[in-house]
Amino acid sequence: MKKSVNTEKNNLFLISLLVLVVGCEVIIRALEIPGYILPTPTRVIAALYSQKEVLFSHSLVTLFEALTGFILSIFFALVIGGIVYPFEKVKKLLYPYLLISQTIPLIAIAPVILIWFGFGVLPKIIIVILICTFPMLLSFLGGLEEVDREILDLFQVMGAGKKYIFFKVILPSSLPGFFSGVKIAATYSIMGAVIGEWLGAKSGLGIYMTRAISSFKTDYLFAAIIVVVVLSLAIFKGIEYIEKAAMPWKNKKS
Amino acid sequence: MRKRVISLLLVLNIVSIFALEKVDIVLDWTPNTNHTGIYAAKEMGYFKEEGIEADILQPANGTSTQLIATGRADFGVTYQEAVTFARLEGLPIVSLGAIIQHNTSGFASLKEKGIKSPADFKGKNYGGWGSPVEEATLKELIEQDGGRIKDINILTTGSMDFFKSSENDVDFAWVFEGWTNIEAKLQGKKLNYIRLRDYSEDLDYYTPIFASSEKLIKTNPELVKKVMRAVKKGYEYSVKNPEKAGELLLKEVPELDRNLVIESQKYLASKYTDDAPYWGHQKLEVWERYQKWLYKNNLIDGTTDMKKAFTNKFLKN
Repeated sequence: MKKSVNTEKNNLFLISLLVLVVGCEVIIRALEIPGYILPTPTRVIAALYSQKEVLFSHSLVTLFEALTGFILSIFFALVIGGIVYPFEKVKKLLYPYLLISQTIPLIAIAPVILIWFGFGVLPKIIIVILICTFPMLLSFLGGLEEVDREILDLFQVMGAGKKYIFFKVILPSSLPGFFSGVKIAATYSIMGAVIGEWLGAKSGLGIYMTRAISSFKTDYLFAAIIVVVVLSLAIFKGIEYIEKAAMPWKNKKS
Repeated sequence: MRKRVISLLLVLNIVSIFALEKVDIVLDWTPNTNHTGIYAAKEMGYFKEEGIEADILQPANGTSTQLIATGRADFGVTYQEAVTFARLEGLPIVSLGAIIQHNTSGFASLKEKGIKSPADFKGKNYGGWGSPVEEATLKELIEQDGGRIKDINILTTGSMDFFKSSENDVDFAWVFEGWTNIEAKLQGKKLNYIRLRDYSEDLDYYTPIFASSEKLIKTNPELVKKVMRAVKKGYEYSVKNPEKAGELLLKEVPELDRNLVIESQKYLASKYTDDAPYWGHQKLEVWERYQKWLYKNNLIDGTTDMKKAFTNKFLKN
């Protein structure tokens, strides 16, 4: 039963996408919009094809930066969350700083990060971590609050230890909340790497975009955007898959 | 008669306050002495005399050409290389005047990096803004010296300052003599400098230039004429009064370093017009020569009519 609902959803998406693409093509051609302002979808697809090797090699760099930063962010979010959770005071103390860290305009601070760490992959990974850690940490801390008090009381009455309770009760019940943060961060990770590259790098999709713009090849730029979108979606889907595997008890509800 | 002229001017002035035509001018980079004439025209009231209110804007580096071509900005600063590539892609941009008559750009590096000639580019990191022109130019220079472009590491460092990026991974960069080399002198840093013009006459092209779009030239030639009159006056003022012009630039852009601006202004005063009959004058030969060079080196697939890429007609008073 479930499968057919899913395929129906996918079909609907594909049909609407097709309509959108064909519509764009027709409108751009009808209005005779020049290619350097807005390329037709067919031109973008042609660019995707002709540039596939170059785009692929740049994608690998961006993907490496994004995934490394993203995985480190998950680690940081879990560790920081796990450490501050038992200590209400520490949480209250840290919270405003975490919030402030998210209000710093990244575009302004990125050049400084570049000056500190050079033009290699490290500054990009740092930028991804800066973007991704916060939403995960926040949702993780939120998830930790979600625990069912009755189950908690039951375990305590039965004499379970603090550690046991944390790993067997609190942590599993925090997962749904945590994963919603992970999914948000997943969509940011590629973008974070691209922003980092934009400001200075040797290769990566951000650099490819800079070059496309300065060569006046708007179709190449859009081809790169499509690659960024597809990669971000792929990471998102991957996380959804892991989420299902991590919370088998949630899947039984269907 | 004189009284009448003065009163007429007064009336015109009062009228112009109410009826100033707004014009956007985009820069190619952060404000520097290449732009002094534009700022001077604003500060000296040359734009106002023409009934124009000029807004000088700084977009993201490397985007001025598109903004001018598409009419997002009415006018702006770019380079012959960019206009050539843009016109090949069909962007309707036209150069109205050469800001500096000869190419005063080249590749600079800190002395300790030991880059004395293009052969020394081998195994070094070049920091640029990611345009196809850079790779082409580097290729030409290193091949003349028997090297290969593959041996140069090309990094895109956006608008990072030469000295900041030199402390990092960048070994050499493309700079304007009248700015970075003078800054180095003031900071007491020794540079090695490879002047483009010395390597090939083909590379003595117009950079930077003042440009507009085909559309604006067609639909409002009067406005173009007025703006060019004011800008030309601004640069002529900068030629005659380098220090005062520098002060005007500093007044508009106080963030800049005073010593650098004044010293740079002294250097550029003789370079704006140089050996041309008047400021801004461009020769077809220079435009065609550069495109031929690109084509000869397989950097472009086709060619485009360079007669359409520039015009001198708005410079003749």
